This record gives sequence, C-alpha cells and structure tokens, in this order.
Amino acid sequence: MLRKVEYTHILSMKRRRPGKTRKKAAAGQRESPGKRAQNKEKTKRDILRAALELFSRRGFFRTTTKQISDKAKIAEGTLFNYFKTKEDLALYFFEQEIAGLIAWYEEQHELQEAALPEKLFAIIHRHLERISPYEEFIGAVYLRALQPVSRLNLLSLETQELNLRYLKFIQQILKDTEEKGEIPKVGDFGAYALGLFHLAIISYWLQDASQGKENTLALLDRSLKLANSILKKEAWEW
Amino acid sequence: MVSKDRPQSRIGRGFRIGKLGLSLTGSYLGYQFQNLFLDERERPEKRKSFQKKAAQQIRKELESLKGPVMKLGQVLSMQSQMLPEEVLSELANLQMRAPAMHPTLARAQFKASFGKFPEEVFREFSPEPFAAASLGQVHRAVTKAGEKIAVKIQYPAIRTAIEHDFQLLRSAAIPVRLTGHATEAMFAEVERGMLQETDYVNEGRNIEFFRERVAFLGYVRVPRVRWDLSTDRVLSMSFIPGEPLPDFLARNKPSQEMRNAIGIRLLELFNLQLHRMDQIHADPHPGNYLIDSDGTIGLVDFGCVKKFSPEFIELMRAFEERAWLRGDEQARRMAGLIWGAQASRKPQVARKLLEQAIAFYEMLFPGASGRTPVVDFGSDKILNSMFQIWNNCLRSKTINPEFAFYTRAEMGLYNLLHMLHAKIDTAAALVKFYKRIAAREDSGRSHGPW
Repeated sequence: MLRKVEYTHILSMKRRRPGKTRKKAAAGQRESPGKRAQNKEKTKRDILRAALELFSRRGFFRTTTKQISDKAKIAEGTLFNYFKTKEDLALYFFEQEIAGLIAWYEEQHELQEAALPEKLFAIIHRHLERISPYEEFIGAVYLRALQPVSRLNLLSLETQELNLRYLKFIQQILKDTEEKGEIPKVGDFGAYALGLFHLAIISYWLQDASQGKENTLALLDRSLKLANSILKKEAWEW
Repeated sequence: MVSKDRPQSRIGRGFRIGKLGLSLTGSYLGYQFQNLFLDERERPEKRKSFQKKAAQQIRKELESLKGPVMKLGQVLSMQSQMLPEEVLSELANLQMRAPAMHPTLARAQFKASFGKFPEEVFREFSPEPFAAASLGQVHRAVTKAGEKIAVKIQYPAIRTAIEHDFQLLRSAAIPVRLTGHATEAMFAEVERGMLQETDYVNEGRNIEFFRERVAFLGYVRVPRVRWDLSTDRVLSMSFIPGEPLPDFLARNKPSQEMRNAIGIRLLELFNLQLHRMDQIHADPHPGNYLIDSDGTIGLVDFGCVKKFSPEFIELMRAFEERAWLRGDEQARRMAGLIWGAQASRKPQVARKLLEQAIAFYEMLFPGASGRTPVVDFGSDKILNSMFQIWNNCLRSKTINPEFAFYTRAEMGLYNLLHMLHAKIDTAAALVKFYKRIAAREDSGRSHGPW
C-alpha cells in the first residue's frame, strides 16, 4: 500500500512552471542575485518533491534520475547541476526536515509546557511521522551513511552543519528544562546523547515490523522516561 | 505501507543493532517494576508508603523466581507469610497495569492502531485520561454525531512484552516448577488469561455478553461497544456515569443501609455470574465498579473474563447443594475438582483443605447453619481467612489452575464488601435472589436468554 505524500512545507509552496524562469532569462531580463537564489531554491524543492513522490510510489531503488527530472519538468542535465548524487538529495531532504521540525516545535505552545520526556517524544515522533512515507529511501540513506567515505557519514563535514543546527535546537530545549529545575545541568553532552539516541531510534523504527510500529513507540517512551528518572536526583534515593 | 518487494534484507542487515532495543521495551514485568517508581497516577503519599514495602517484596519474589506469577495472576502472592494489611489490600486490588501514557503517546498509539489521529475521528477528544484500565488508559471523547463515549487505548507493544516474559519464565522458572509450586498448567492458564486481556476485540465481545445477561437485574450498567471506532488495541464504548467505589464512599459518605444495599447487589451480581452465566468478570479492581448516586453499579473493564469449565460448574453446584455432607465419596470428588490430581494422591491433605474451605464458607454464610446470620465485612476476618486458605494450598502444593482467575474475582468481591463495611445476612440475601431467578426462569423460558 502506498501513502499519499503530505509534505506541507514543501507542497504548500505554490507551484510555478519550471519553464518560467528560463523564459525570463532567455528574454534577457536581468534578475537580482536574491531572486536568482530564490529560484534556485525553488527548483531544488521541486526536484526533491518530485523525487520523494516517486520514491514513495515506485521505491527508492527503482526510481531513475530520468524519471525524477521528467517529473520535475527539467532536463536531466539540470538535475545534476543541483544534486550530483542521491546523497546530495538526501542531505537536502534532511536539511528541510530539520528546519520543518524546528518550525513545527516553535508553534506547539502546549507541548512546550509539557514535561521533558513528552517534549522529546513528540519531536522524535513527529520526525518519524513525517518521514514514514519514505521509509525505504531513509533506509537506503542510512546504509550509505554507515560507509566512512560517504558524505552522509556522521563525521563528514557536510553533515556537520546539519548536526549543529539540530544539536543547538535540542540544547535550547534542555537549557530551558534545566532553568526550570526539572533536570540537573547536563550541558552539551545531553544534546549529543539525544542526537545519537534519535538516530538509534530511526534505525530501530526502520526494521520495526510490529503493527503501526508500536514497538518503536514503546521503546521511545520507556527509554525517555527511564533516562529522565535517572537524571532526576530523587530517583537515586530508593 | 511497506511494499512486499522492498529489499528488506539489504536494509535490515544494517540495523540488527536496533534489536538491542528489545531488551528495553520487551518486558511487561519490567514495566511493573518501573511503575512502582514512575507511575504518576498514584497519590504521592500512598505511593511513598507502599513503594518501599512493595519494592522489597517484589524484589524478593523476583529473586526467588516466584514473583512474576504473583504479579500476573496474583495467585502465588499468598505464598509469602502474613503481609501488612495495606500491602494485602494492594494485592487484592492488583490490576494489570501498563505505564501511563502522556497525551502525545496516547495520540500516537491511537494512530498506530486506528490509522488516524483521534482529532480526525472524534469531534472532541480529551488528551488526558480519566481512568487507568487494564493495560492501558481511558479517555473521554465525543463522536462526530455528538455521543459521549469512553475510548480505551492500550499501551504500545504490551502483548509482545507479555509473550517475552513467558518465554523467559518458561526457561527460568524450571526450579519453581520442579518443586511443584507452579505447575505448567498454571503457567499456561495465567498466560492465556493475560494474552486474552490484550485483545480488545475479545473484550468487546465480553461486554456484549454481559450487557445482555445482566440487564434484567435493573441496577447494573454495562457499556455498549462502538465497533466502528474500535480495533484490537483501541476500544470505544458508551460512557458510564458514576464514581469508582472508593471515591463514591469518600465523597458521599453513604448510610449503612445504602452500603448494605450496594453490598447485596455486588453479592447478587457475583452469584449470577458464578451460577447462571458460567463466566465471571475477573478484574475486581474497585475502579471497575462505578457507583452512581442512586446506587446503580456501572461495571467496566471486561478484559479479564474467566469462562468456567464443566468441572468447575459441577463443583459450584456441589457447594450450593452442600454435597460434602453426603459422605466421603462426595467430599473426595469435590476435593479432586478443587485441587486436581494432587488431591487424589494426598487424600488427607485434601480432606484438611476441604474442611478449611468449608469452614470458610460456613463463616461466609453463617445463616445457613443457624448462627447469627449477619456477616460484618468491615472486619478483615474474611479476607485474612481467604489468604490463609490459599497460603495452605500453596504450601501443600495443591492448586488448580482453573481457580487462578476465579480466586482473583472472589477475593475482589470480599475486598469491595470490606471497603463498604457492609453488614449482610448473606444466606437470606442469596435465598431471596435465587427465588427471583427461579421465578424468572420459570416464567421466561419461552423468550429471551433465560
């Protein structure tokens, strides 16, 4: 069964004919550098959207670059101008996802008042919900990320930027919780630990064959609560 | 969701490490243990006093490998020597508990099972639960058509967790089985009961059966299942008004007459199940009895329903007819039915146990043998004797697995009557009740289930 792609922050962008910019350029109208960057970004999103739709419909391994460029209504050569490999595409995908996740969290006012385990649960669960139509794609990306030469490798400089953005986001949440006195000071270590935990959960989730992937929900809930109770000082006073 | 031709193995191989997580998520007993420290639903003061004792108790039991069964079926709990009363009553109230779910998890689990988020399905859905239930929690909701309902959501992956525990128990509990304290049959019975409790579709069927059969009593409310809004892990049903028995007592301070009247109703309800329905609501947690201001009893949580075997039904009839008075042969037959093959091998032990059991029921129905007929359930005599009997059964290694859930139900009844401080002429109440049933059976043979 296939799920409908529901990528609001990509799909909600108004679709413009890809040909339009090129026509303008051909007519010799000069574009401001800002405008050009905007158009470039838009084409990138168009390509990603097309690719994701194909991945969820046909599968990651059976989707060809030709199909992607057809779907995005660009020349196959143009595709390579934007993304040299599927890894680049994946990196861009994760960038978008993290940005979307942060933006989403900032709107969840009720959640921001919740206890730490629920907050972290909600963030990771939201992420999983978002990427669930592209499970196969994520799985393939993960496998590739395990290779040391891959640009997706956790230690590659390309992923560092993404990591940093995510870590700072978590760091801020932990800091707020520390200030409220909910947990003792965990410093940056907490953010690192959670980042690794997040990755581990995704890999567990990928191979979780239980109904509705409920095993992942249980694992996520129990480990966050356990970590939280260990962090709390009173938990040691049994 | 996952296409069949997906190269699972290629991807799967990379994530074997993820399976390590199983050791964290995979134990129901682990949940139980953690719950003592993590459960936010309990009142803090109660938690504090109980935690310490219970933690020691459970740790001790776990070490001796007898404990798991205690927590599963509450059966072997009486193996420990006399316990302080508060722990005793905690054990009597023991409920299959799952960890509490925060709103985000409840919502996520609803989607995992139903395929949609609650806000897509209901007009209103309260994110916080209003009650704990067996293996899950209950949320208030309003359907799109405006009906007030209760939605029970099961904690994720609890069935897997229970299965893991039994796999572990089967290998680890061999020493216990060898000494005969817990037989394979007992394990199987408790496992059967627990796994059944994880299936909410089965529970829905139980609800429908009870709803039909207790209707004529006129003072028991049973919910109506909304099958269109239910799955095996989500159970939606009509909302039952009333307060859990302990809250009802604390808030309304009912008169002794009211307490007695509710007590008689509970006694009737129990005996109707035992003698006429051949199955029993075996989750007697006080929270499952919702008392309305007019004394109506709302019965909820039908996950654990024990269906009786023909032998068990025969035995109940024998008790009803006081068959043990008709000589040794009858008495031995009864002992055999209660304690199984063990009893026929050790007739003296069986005779002693039967005498104890009879003495217990004489105490419960003194009116039948011409003594002061009113039983004061406010004293803890009844509960304590019952524990004593089970203690003896365990010591002499004679337990019939058939009784595991029945005992839970019976002990639960006495605990409820104890909470009510009910004073009841038990024999007279039952005689009156059976007359009512007999009259109904005579007149109603041609129509309805009776």
